[in-house]
Amino acid sequence: MSQSKFESIINELVSHSSCGEIKEVYNDLLTITGENSKSTILDAIEQYNISNAVPVDLEGRFVIISKYNKEGSKFFDPKTSNLFSVDHLNLISLDIEKSENKLTDEQETIDKELLEYSQTDFPGDITYGVFSVPGEPNKTAILISCNRYNTANFWTGRWKSEYIYDNESKSLQGSIDVQVHYYEDGNVKFKSTEEFNESNVSSVVDKIKELEKNFERQLDNSFTDLNENQFKQLRRRLPVTRSKVNWGKAIGNYRLGKNAVEGN
Amino acid sequence: MSSEEAFDAALDLLRRLDPTHIQKHLLNLIELEPSLAEDLLSSTDTPLSVQRDPKSSQREYLCCDYNRDIDSYRSPWSNDYYPPLADADLVESPFPSGSLRKLEIIANDSFDIYRDLYYEGGISSVYLWDLEEESRDFAGVVLFKKSDQSSSNWDSIHVLEVIFENDVEATYRVTTTIILHLDKQQKITLSGNLTRQTEKTLSVPSDATEEQLNVAHITNLGTLIEDIESQMRNLLETVYFEKTRDIYHEVRSSITGSDKLNKANQEEVIKGLQNL
Repeated sequence: MSQSKFESIINELVSHSSCGEIKEVYNDLLTITGENSKSTILDAIEQYNISNAVPVDLEGRFVIISKYNKEGSKFFDPKTSNLFSVDHLNLISLDIEKSENKLTDEQETIDKELLEYSQTDFPGDITYGVFSVPGEPNKTAILISCNRYNTANFWTGRWKSEYIYDNESKSLQGSIDVQVHYYEDGNVKFKSTEEFNESNVSSVVDKIKELEKNFERQLDNSFTDLNENQFKQLRRRLPVTRSKVNWGKAIGNYRLGKNAVEGN
Repeated sequence: MSSEEAFDAALDLLRRLDPTHIQKHLLNLIELEPSLAEDLLSSTDTPLSVQRDPKSSQREYLCCDYNRDIDSYRSPWSNDYYPPLADADLVESPFPSGSLRKLEIIANDSFDIYRDLYYEGGISSVYLWDLEEESRDFAGVVLFKKSDQSSSNWDSIHVLEVIFENDVEATYRVTTTIILHLDKQQKITLSGNLTRQTEKTLSVPSDATEEQLNVAHITNLGTLIEDIESQMRNLLETVYFEKTRDIYHEVRSSITGSDKLNKANQEEVIKGLQNL
């Protein structure tokens, strides 16, 4: 197998992992492929952490890592103006130094409003980030990452939302991505995504609150909808006779009865 | 690193990866470590595929590792492999013994009625095989598949073993996996599988004719599988709709709010109660 094919497979497997279980995935892959693959697996985990806006411990404060705050091989926190490397397996910061990056006044306002918002609707462990979009001075990226892991009871859950606000056009584009993984005696995954494109947005965080509240209400309805309209169509709780099957020699009678009714 | 450790790691990994892409994950893992292929394919349940039997009016049947030989699958209706195997390969192909084939035929007929009553559609197939020469013990698999118009899908896979304890009792061991995929315009997917094992020792008639014994097996297995599926349907409903939604609300909930807010509200309620 070529190196590029090997990397492609590792990347694909890691990309389909659940947050909160990445260490187990790392150990599993290492066991299967051997110690020589360590750096390839860690590279895949780095990509996974960046695309999933995973929080990293920066001296006790959690900071999201993303493509918006990546600088070379390091990441910066515009709120504290720190630049740091990341241990991607253990999600801790390394080699901390000062950075030029900081929030604008408008971004500071968004940051404060997000702090308040983060303390109301998110019982999980929430981290958010406000970043400038590289090369686009009029645009601000807003990321919300919230998780809850209970590996002892075989479940993990996470929420990620990501928005780009254009100060000039007052437009807000973004998406929400929710995943729940339950894996006691099985493997059940719930995923839900929603994309948004809003114009004439005067208050960014108020709009985000509104969008996310609506998403949540729709989601609760969707659980009911999937149950009533899809799950229940797949297999009946009981036959139309309302009795369990009468197994044995007489089971053929069900067919006779049905054929008689249908006139076959 | 032993092959057993690699196999255990592969199973653990499969449990952690997105279940909607399980077949791709299997292929990837086998490409990473080809020596895992046989074990992984035989112990990992994937959504059942469907083939048609040209000798039985194109009747559909379900395919899995248990009725596969090379790249062909045995039909429970005609007992032939499709696509047809070469004569040299066919000599080596697994078939149930003559007496077990009779039981297989009755089983397919009976579970097809069960399918009709519970699934109102879908496809069923039963495959049996002998465990040892000169033994009445046997193993098998009972399969159901139901899809609906909105790309939702249910696969039931019951792998079973029937061991005679003596002339009047047999132990029925069933490992059941249900693969359930629900989806709403790709924006919402709820997908995965649950596995449960059941074991029951049940009566079989002594001094019975072959036909009577077969009816007893079908009655025992049918009743058992019906009970298992009903229990698992309830479990699936709980896990898919209550458990998953509850976990989601552990992450995000505009109704209950944050832990801090929760505690503050609870304290207010307690104070209010104390003042009464």
